[in-house]
Amino acid sequence: MADQLTLSAGTGQEAAARRIARVGAGPLLLLPAVLFLAVFFIVPLLIVVWMSFTEPASGVGNYVRFFSSAHDLGILLNTFRTSAIVTIAALVIAYPVAYVAARYGGAIGAVLLLVVTLSFWTSFLVRTYAWMVILGVKGPVAAALGWLGFSPPPQILFTTFASTFAMTHLLVPFMTLTLYSVMKRIDSSLMRAASGLGARPWRAFVSVYLPLSLPGVVNGAVLVFITCLGFYVTPALLGSPRDRMIAGAIGEEIEHLLDFGHGSAMAMVLLAATLALFFIYTRFFGLDRLWR
Amino acid sequence: MSMHRSGMPTRPSRRAVVATGLAGLALSAPAIRSASAQEKVLYVNTWGGAWEEAARESLFAPFTRESGIEIRTVAPVSFAKLAAQVRTGVFEFDVTTLGVAELGRADQAKLLAEPDKAILDPAKLWPQAVKMNGVASHAFGNIIAYRNDKFPQGLKDWADFWNVGKNPGSRSLQRYAARVIAMALLADGVAPEKLFPYDLDRAFKSLEKIKPHVRVWWTQGPQSQQLLRDGEIDAIGMWDTQASRLVEQKAPITVNVNQGVIDIAYWAVAKGSPRAANAWRFISFAIRPEPLAQFSLKNAYGPMNPDAFKFISEAQAKTLSTYPENFQSAIVLDAEKLLPQLDEMTKRFDQWLTS
Repeated sequence: MADQLTLSAGTGQEAAARRIARVGAGPLLLLPAVLFLAVFFIVPLLIVVWMSFTEPASGVGNYVRFFSSAHDLGILLNTFRTSAIVTIAALVIAYPVAYVAARYGGAIGAVLLLVVTLSFWTSFLVRTYAWMVILGVKGPVAAALGWLGFSPPPQILFTTFASTFAMTHLLVPFMTLTLYSVMKRIDSSLMRAASGLGARPWRAFVSVYLPLSLPGVVNGAVLVFITCLGFYVTPALLGSPRDRMIAGAIGEEIEHLLDFGHGSAMAMVLLAATLALFFIYTRFFGLDRLWR
Repeated sequence: MSMHRSGMPTRPSRRAVVATGLAGLALSAPAIRSASAQEKVLYVNTWGGAWEEAARESLFAPFTRESGIEIRTVAPVSFAKLAAQVRTGVFEFDVTTLGVAELGRADQAKLLAEPDKAILDPAKLWPQAVKMNGVASHAFGNIIAYRNDKFPQGLKDWADFWNVGKNPGSRSLQRYAARVIAMALLADGVAPEKLFPYDLDRAFKSLEKIKPHVRVWWTQGPQSQQLLRDGEIDAIGMWDTQASRLVEQKAPITVNVNQGVIDIAYWAVAKGSPRAANAWRFISFAIRPEPLAQFSLKNAYGPMNPDAFKFISEAQAKTLSTYPENFQSAIVLDAEKLLPQLDEMTKRFDQWLTS
């Protein structure tokens, strides 16, 4: 009896320990991340929210000013339009690359993935400067155009084209790897089954492969779009003043106009827009699709 | 804000947040401050690169030798940081240099400390040495430079620069309202003595004429050099100091200082800085004739302290913008005259540029 009691007490303790391990340790493990985010992200973010409502006067003045200014709204619109163009361009470029890498694998796939990952190891700023050299009047593109008989060669640097092009280049790796991770898990026997049932390659691709790769397309598009929304240096260095995106405008507000309130409000508008997008995305697609 | 030029495309909300996140550290600021008050250290905000090298040689090192106060530098010059410092009470730098327009705006926003009269007495300096809590150091011109092959007939003045019909070719100007508006008005035929207050409507009408030909609105000094040297643009309004470096490198360009728009760099101390006494000691050293003369010569700046010319040869002096003969007829930006229009012109310029 006594033995039994001790035994059951023992199992009780073990169960409790298991419960703690199951319930208690989880949140405990999150503590460092939560503390880090609270101190370095949440608190500062709240300060920005606070500034947007209190400077220079308390109230929603900064937001009223933003939404009643054609200039500010124009920049917001341009930011979204540019991000959309970049996302589509990146998808068009990345899809075939990811497709080949995932379907054929082997040496081709390895080389393709290596090239894509390589560009991850070079900073955005360095790659942006590289484009300045490549697209400049003394760069290879101008030389090639000159050789083809364009005299003087058309100006490419400091145009909308240059900045959109470079942003696309910077974001293609994100798109490729996201697509690849989904495509890699598409069972290749499905395509064989489709052709066995008489589908032409194109038909098999459209009816079988494309729908199966859609989660990758959506994930990649959201990742690229949201990253692109915050681009700052690339449009400033490669584009014309008209290509300014909202990040650049916020920098201008704070750096040159010392208008911390309006700058904060613009940052909040961008954050709200991004969160709204992200909400739609998780609601209908979800991050976990990537690993399913 | 502090990661302004870092190039990482993090979301701006986050970027702004990182900087304001430093505000969290403000909690510990009193401790930092009381400790550093005893320090023999001074943090100076510099433009980095060649500027800092020249300053280190002619100003910082001799000052440290004389006072025992070590100088540490923070680059680049950031007006927003100055504002954020005063706001949060965390001081990354104590001393900075400001152009005329920034000086006016900073003083108006109460970001600047008043001179410590025990260390630096404005009454004992040359006339106009201290303005809006800034101490005049040196002058630099915003001048015309162009590629020889594109303009064999030359560009005599801003009217020539603006005349794209007679002088076709691509242009570049600084993205800086107070200076560019002066150029636009001069190009439109406004007499230098009638420049202030700016006729903004006339200025923007004049700017409209050149806008399609301005391929780049430059923001960094070295960038302006690169644009002209590589032939990315044909003619540019740039700083005389940057242009003179191109001439030293034997770039195929001509520099024309006629109608140069002179801006003045002022030393200023961040309000509330725990090392203000050190800061004023440094500034009073930096405007002494001999070190200022050396510093100015290295950058082709015009020294603001007239006594500095005692340490400059007559031949060299004549090439500097503040040499009395040159300075009398020069077009000089004035913080007090610009201030009432500053906010309006900056915002309008910014909107005009992106429209």
